[in-house]
Amino acid sequence: MADSYVSDNEPTTRTLLRRVLDTEDPHTPRRRQSTRASAQRTPLETPFSMRLRSQTKTTASRRSHRARSVGRLAHIQTSGHLKEQTPRTLLENILLTAPESSMVMPESVVKPVPAPPLVQSSSRESSPGSLELHLPEFKTPTTLAPSLLATGKRKQRLRLSVFQQGMDQGPPLSPGPLTKLHGNAGASSLTSSLNLTFATPPLPQSVRRPGLARRPPRRPAVDVGTFLQDLQDTSTLPTDTVLEDTQPFSQPLIGPSPSVHHSLPCPSFSAERTVSHRARSSGPGLPNNSTGKPAPLLVGKAEGVDALAKGFPNTSNSLSGEDGLQPLQDGVGEEVEEVMEESLSMSDVKEAAGAQGSARAEEPERHQEVIEAERSWGAIEAKKPEASPGDEDTPGRTGSPELTSATLEIQQARQLAFLEPAPPTSTTVLSSEPLEPLSAKCPPRAQTAGPRLRRDPYKTGLNHYAKLFSFYAKMPMEKKALEMVEKCLDRYFQHLCDDLEVFAAHAGRKTVKPEDLELLMRRQGLVTDQVSLHVLVEQHLPLQYRQLLIPCAFSGNTVFPAQ
Amino acid sequence: MEEEEEGAEEQERFSYQQRLKAAVHYTVGCLCAEVASDREVQLSKQTIAAISEATFRQCETFAKDLEMFARHAKRSTISTEDVKLLARRSNSLLKYITEKNEEIAQFNIERKTKKKKKLEDGNKNSVETTEAGEVESEN
Repeated sequence: MADSYVSDNEPTTRTLLRRVLDTEDPHTPRRRQSTRASAQRTPLETPFSMRLRSQTKTTASRRSHRARSVGRLAHIQTSGHLKEQTPRTLLENILLTAPESSMVMPESVVKPVPAPPLVQSSSRESSPGSLELHLPEFKTPTTLAPSLLATGKRKQRLRLSVFQQGMDQGPPLSPGPLTKLHGNAGASSLTSSLNLTFATPPLPQSVRRPGLARRPPRRPAVDVGTFLQDLQDTSTLPTDTVLEDTQPFSQPLIGPSPSVHHSLPCPSFSAERTVSHRARSSGPGLPNNSTGKPAPLLVGKAEGVDALAKGFPNTSNSLSGEDGLQPLQDGVGEEVEEVMEESLSMSDVKEAAGAQGSARAEEPERHQEVIEAERSWGAIEAKKPEASPGDEDTPGRTGSPELTSATLEIQQARQLAFLEPAPPTSTTVLSSEPLEPLSAKCPPRAQTAGPRLRRDPYKTGLNHYAKLFSFYAKMPMEKKALEMVEKCLDRYFQHLCDDLEVFAAHAGRKTVKPEDLELLMRRQGLVTDQVSLHVLVEQHLPLQYRQLLIPCAFSGNTVFPAQ
Repeated sequence: MEEEEEGAEEQERFSYQQRLKAAVHYTVGCLCAEVASDREVQLSKQTIAAISEATFRQCETFAKDLEMFARHAKRSTISTEDVKLLARRSNSLLKYITEKNEEIAQFNIERKTKKKKKLEDGNKNSVETTEAGEVESEN
């Protein structure tokens, strides 16, 4: 596989990305480790690579010296000892493995696999069957995937291992981590994605063309169908969200969106692949754009993002409504063909994205999110995607939570996929970022769904104090007791405010001032001749308030706070 | 020597306090007897003692509060406003005090008019001062 790429003189996305990796200076502090790791890895790689290729030694040496040879990536990929999680190595591994996984299986093999699983409940049964069929065949290639998967984040590793076990054992286990998220759709899609990933590995050996080219055709067909089904299923959602689902991310989210959404907590490596692949296919699928997705990685992240963004707005344009699904499918097919092409006018994508932005506020956001995800994909600098998805997430949150979550998942998946080579810290940050907004999204959604309860304005604020009371009581309290506490608190605060008002009037003022409060505290017995107010302030209040309340004399006869 | 003086002072204060307490206790006893005869209820001595002790302590608190209120209003003399502020919690007491205050105010006004008349008549200064002193003391 790597040989094919190495010998490939065409500027495929993969090669470009490799070149970028090679040329780019490490920005993360893990560089030192990576150098060490690379040094360690070279001896490991050599025997392994020798098996696969003859250029092992030279590539390994080059790698140690960080030479810019494409073959290096291949060797790195082949080495299964990718435990060192240097950004570069991880990314390289991803690059190497990604095409493998994304390698287009013979249609006869792949199509039946994705099609049935995408169907809701029935898919599960079919997917495991298909998996079983494919698993024994692709054991050798899968061995690479697990190693690569293991190199991913710890969470990913756990999930992947679990998932792999589940896959081996049967359907019930594999969708286990996913079931909690959603129903069958997600699990089925995930399994289907898994099927795809497992199925693809053997292809690279047989097919000499870049794996990206083959990928798109199959997925679009399935994705659209799933997407349509999902649309119908999610008809309960507000129309805006539904429309949003269809429009901006119709293509990329077709397949991966449901699967990714469901597999949010544990984006499996394969899922990431599928998502990334789908995104790729959807992105370039736009008639305007040629490829946009992997190309950007090669030439520049921004460009790639632009291409993707361009792709999305274009798709959204074409899919002004849900009717656009069909043309989308066609477009997807076309995109698939174009996927392999290098990044075309990336700037056009951006422009298109900008144009789209005016159309829909949320769509561009999502596009941006996807773009960010793409960025993360090709992002050698892991921190960039961190910031961008984080920023995008916040605006995206305002939009339909589903879409944003889906996009975040996609981003997350992609980020995770790309972050494997990236420093684990950055990955954790990235993953945590999408996870946090995602987790934050779910509760708010549930709250807004229900009707708003009318609360008594007087007792609204007392609820908080009642809870404090129950907390400090250190024992369970009856509801009636809490109500009585609320009543007492209400009276108390009323008295308090009356006293303050009277005190202020007594001093001929209309504004309540701290002196009135001090008088009140004296009446309460908190402030006595022995204990002054300042003493209480120092005892109970944090330092910031103390600074404000207790005047302090500074040099130059200045008193803070000014009185 | 200082300690002895302080000790003596304390003893004096204590004895003074005791005398005051005794006076309060006597007054409370008289009032309770009146109430008992009105309601035809018997009050034990412990009750009266408790009431007198509570009254005494409350008087101390009142004094401190009045001083605080006067200081809060940036005055050095306790006025009827401070007293009214003190009694605001109890509505009936507040009413009573307010009425009394109005009576006194009216009385003062009448007194002032009388004084003016007397002045116009050409009263002696000593009489005016004595009357002013009486008015002030009454206030």
